[in-house]
Amino acid sequence: MTDRYTKAVNSGFTKTLATRLGLPRPAILRRYRAGDPLTVGPVLVVSDGASKADADAVAQTLLGWDLDVRRDPTDDVRWGAVVLVLTETARPADASEAVLAVGSVLRRLAGNGRVVTVSRAPADGDTPELAAARNAVDGFLRSLAKELRGGATGNGIVLTGGAALDQTSVRATLRFFLSAKSAYVDGQLLQVGPADAALPEEWDRPLDGKVAVVTGAARGIGAAIARTLARDGATVVCVDVPAAGEGLARTANAVGGTALQLDVTAEDAGQRILQHARERHGGLDVVVHNAGILRDKLLANMKPAQWDAVIAVNLAAQLRINEALLDAGLDGLHVVSLASTSGIAGNKGQTNYAFSKAGVIGHTRATSPLLGARGGTANAVAPGFIETDMTASIPFATRSVARLLPTLSQGGEPVDVAEAIAFLASPAAAGVNGQVLRVCGQHMVGQ
Amino acid sequence: MATRQTSRAQTAGAAQGPRDAVVVGGNRIPFARAGKKYADASNQEMFTAALEGLVARYGLQGERLGEVVGGAVLKHSRDFNLVRESVLGSSLSPQTPAFDLQQACATGLEATITIANKIRLGQIESGVSGGTDTVSDAPIAVSEGMRRALLDAGHAKTWQDRAKALARIRPADLKPLSPATDEPRTGLSMGEHQAVTTARWGITREAQDEIALASHQHLAEAWESGFFDDLVTPFRGLTRDDNMRPDTSAEKLAGLKPVFGRSLETPATMTAGNSTPLTDGASTVLLGSREWAEAHDLPVLARFVDAETAAVDFVHGREGLLMAPVHAVPRLLARNGLSLEDFDFFEIHEAFASTVLTTLAAWEDADYGKNELGLPGAFGSLDRSRINVHGSSLAAGHPFAATGGRIVATAAKLVATKAAETGKPARALVSVCAAGGLGATAVLESV
Amino acid sequence: MTAAPPRTADGRELRVETQPGLPGLGGLYARGAAASGRIAAGRALPSLPVIGEGRSPDGQPGTAGSDLSLPDVAYRVSGVGTDGLERHLHDYQRLLHEPVSSTLPAGYLHVLAFPLGTAVMVRGDFPLPLLGMVHVANRVDVRGPVVLGDVLDVRAWAENLRPHRRGVQLDLVAEVRHDGADAAAPPVWRGVSTYLAKGFELPAKGQSGSSGSGSSGSGSSGSGSSGSGSTDEWTPPLPTGRWALGPETGRAYAALSGDRNPIHMSALSAKAFGFPRAIAHGMYTAARALADVGPGRGDAYRWTVEFGKPVLLPGTVDVAITPGAEDGSGYSYVGWNARKGLRHLSGEVVPL
Repeated sequence: MTDRYTKAVNSGFTKTLATRLGLPRPAILRRYRAGDPLTVGPVLVVSDGASKADADAVAQTLLGWDLDVRRDPTDDVRWGAVVLVLTETARPADASEAVLAVGSVLRRLAGNGRVVTVSRAPADGDTPELAAARNAVDGFLRSLAKELRGGATGNGIVLTGGAALDQTSVRATLRFFLSAKSAYVDGQLLQVGPADAALPEEWDRPLDGKVAVVTGAARGIGAAIARTLARDGATVVCVDVPAAGEGLARTANAVGGTALQLDVTAEDAGQRILQHARERHGGLDVVVHNAGILRDKLLANMKPAQWDAVIAVNLAAQLRINEALLDAGLDGLHVVSLASTSGIAGNKGQTNYAFSKAGVIGHTRATSPLLGARGGTANAVAPGFIETDMTASIPFATRSVARLLPTLSQGGEPVDVAEAIAFLASPAAAGVNGQVLRVCGQHMVGQ
Repeated sequence: MATRQTSRAQTAGAAQGPRDAVVVGGNRIPFARAGKKYADASNQEMFTAALEGLVARYGLQGERLGEVVGGAVLKHSRDFNLVRESVLGSSLSPQTPAFDLQQACATGLEATITIANKIRLGQIESGVSGGTDTVSDAPIAVSEGMRRALLDAGHAKTWQDRAKALARIRPADLKPLSPATDEPRTGLSMGEHQAVTTARWGITREAQDEIALASHQHLAEAWESGFFDDLVTPFRGLTRDDNMRPDTSAEKLAGLKPVFGRSLETPATMTAGNSTPLTDGASTVLLGSREWAEAHDLPVLARFVDAETAAVDFVHGREGLLMAPVHAVPRLLARNGLSLEDFDFFEIHEAFASTVLTTLAAWEDADYGKNELGLPGAFGSLDRSRINVHGSSLAAGHPFAATGGRIVATAAKLVATKAAETGKPARALVSVCAAGGLGATAVLESV
Repeated sequence: MTAAPPRTADGRELRVETQPGLPGLGGLYARGAAASGRIAAGRALPSLPVIGEGRSPDGQPGTAGSDLSLPDVAYRVSGVGTDGLERHLHDYQRLLHEPVSSTLPAGYLHVLAFPLGTAVMVRGDFPLPLLGMVHVANRVDVRGPVVLGDVLDVRAWAENLRPHRRGVQLDLVAEVRHDGADAAAPPVWRGVSTYLAKGFELPAKGQSGSSGSGSSGSGSSGSGSSGSGSTDEWTPPLPTGRWALGPETGRAYAALSGDRNPIHMSALSAKAFGFPRAIAHGMYTAARALADVGPGRGDAYRWTVEFGKPVLLPGTVDVAITPGAEDGSGYSYVGWNARKGLRHLSGEVVPL
């Protein structure tokens, strides 16, 4: 699945050549396989003095996962991960020692290593100094991520609403960032609030017994999402337009789920999804709004049909289905919508698409408290350049440049998006609500 | 159980088995005109695809079903175990038994009757019936002279005998034989036979074209309304029946030249427009006991009430080749205490438009009722607005063995939908004529 | 085994001449049949002459004006074994669309007996030339099954010479009995083939009986007039079947029956006799019709045919098999050319 360039610069003669020529050398990213160790080496936990208790809690969590946890940055090891805990840092100056300790181990950070910051979000009533200290972590992490090499990534957990370190959602987020499941998530900070959630019985099957609906599941990212949710234990209802039924059946049969041929823009799509899930599988726990279409055109050349179709499928359908889901009053429903980096940073020729995807981010934030009230969540995942049939049709030169733009210097795989979605869909991630998680290898500017 | 007995007594059927067989649903691939989209698809590939769509729709992956029964009319000798091989190539449990069955164009319905009977007898809990046919990938045989020479050569003990056997092959023997739709005993094609029946009953060209037009329009409406969204899975890029001509008109149909009955004394009336074209395709129907459906959280569309087959002596001109259902239905209805007025839907296979019309004409004829059907008078007339309400073979096409499955699934969904709308039981009569003067008919009833 | 001497329809007693064996069937099957003993021994007889239409009798020796009388002789072959005929029989059954079985179809017995009748007609004292005689009708009475392994007694003679509008007609009679069966009892198979010799005349009161005696020929004289060429008003019924007869039809039946008349063999050889193309054997078409009637004919039946226009090969014959008004009353049939509206053959298969 790794693209040819990435393979070439990572093996044999072409590797030597690429190094001599100073060509960008994207790393081969480690991706999740059941049974593989969580991290590629020992985990260093560092903190400033004030955050030491929280750092201890983090260490306890990591020890519970049978990791080799160290507190001394001078240990002569190839670090698998560094967790920087700055939750109680009161003043910007207080972070120095811990931050520099992280810096001191970066040269010994293994390929596919991880840096994870844990901090708190600025909140109303914070002193200016406290708010500065808390917000500073944002810029630090995003910059640090850009300095990491060899497939290593940097991501941050930002606690909100007084969330505690030993909370399930915090642990689940930390585990996601440390693991190979977040291979293509880089430079992202994810807010985690207080929420009740039970620890999963098995971290390898976080969706055990859950019923998930994935729209647009016939192929590409949708099929990968279905596979990943099924791997995590969910029973998956695969939805796609009737015309895509052949691929849909293939997906459904591969994941042992059911195929529901349905146009999501149908008036009663939400009701039919609900009915199918309830009658056939006894309930509904996860909905992934993945179905989406592209009708790229410069706005000056845009025809009504091109604009309307994109809005209808990518945005209006999600809104209408969510409405039906909210009316049904489901408990603990996790909704994950596919947004796009285009909807965040914009993209030429994609005014319709970006409109729809930014709209998705808007309704996700607005829906999150409504679902949160019943123990559910609404989140969005914004993929960057993902290697799919769709992107394979982009001209080679454009595609090659697009791959090299992110910090990770390569496109992502559909499974990278799927892993992020599976994480957000899991009950353990109940504290992550109303968030937009980018899966883009730290591509483009903007939040 | 007691209440179920009571409710059964209130519904149709004096000839009840020990328990009900119900139709859960169906799946077919779109039907394709011969030599088009499925030009290189084999019967096994098509039937497997239809099965896979069914498995996906109902989540039957790895399920050990009671039996899968189906067949093909045009069959390669290598396909001696066509259905079993298809099962092995599907996502069903390889422990699912299967067998091939064939009753010309009634194959699909006869397979459904077989499965339903086994379920009613308690021999199996679940099963799939169906059929597949390809004209595009039809078997080609060697001539009789060639075949006998090759067989004799194969049986020969010495090379001299072998050479002698092979020396019998004449240039004329080298011509391959394609399967014909001629009746072996009469040498008349099915179209010519029906032309005779059409002439005998004085069916007009206009009446036939009207049926054809309605078939195309009704089928197109059904596709547009999404009726087939959960009955069809696309295959090889074909998403709808490609014989369907939503834009055809009475004028266009009237402009076609007659192709059958041109040597009769009466004017020829049967055209390519009011006759079914040669078509490729496959269909399946999922049946089960109520208990099985319930235990698997599967929907129940209809009860497969009863069935009757018949045959007529067309060889001596006593009856039209395709008139067997005319004889079967009165017997079937009498056994179940039903009359034509008790049906909401009539699914009469449109081998030709005139097949439907000669069927109706015979039922409305008092002399015929007395002399041929042994009734006091005419069997009866039926509400024509209830016939083939979503189109039939004229528009959809007719891959011989696949038609029964298409019709049963359609009829089952029709009665289920009607019953849901009206809150009252709904009933459908299914009638399929077949080569060899055969006919199969069945009653389905909402549950 | 004393066989009562056969009598003609008008009561003439015939002298029986026992032949050493049935004349050969020729071709491939002669060898196969040789195994059965006596069947193929008929090489002793003159090779089969041509029975065909399209030749004027004018200029032939001993014809017009002479006193015509049929020889008072019946040929007989007894002890005809059928054991070795299995493959020949099955080939016949396949060609004629009869079910393959060990029962000899009525048409097959015709094929077996046909050469013996022909032998009568090529006798020196036979008054008419085979060339120019037209097979206009045929009637077969079957009283029971004849099966492979049966040993048969076959007789053949000519009788009932009578005037006809276009010449004279006569019947060639063949009888098949199980060897040792009572010769006085009706034979298990009896065939009457009616031929027309065009251009001949009988004296005003022919010694072979009045023309009225032909009435027993189940309309053969009538059929002769309509069948041999006149395009009468006739509306085809709705067909129940259609025969698509390929160009090889004549050759295939010739190979089985031994009747290698050139008019059946190829377009070229048929042209020599005035036909545009080869024509199908009349008995082939009649036997196809009998096969189309199927098992409903039972074990004992009368099978008649009147021939009309010849079937040109390749060609298509529309056929209607029509059951009688009442169950068990048999069938009538007709075969015609739908394009030209011409009748090729018609007849009945009725229980006896």
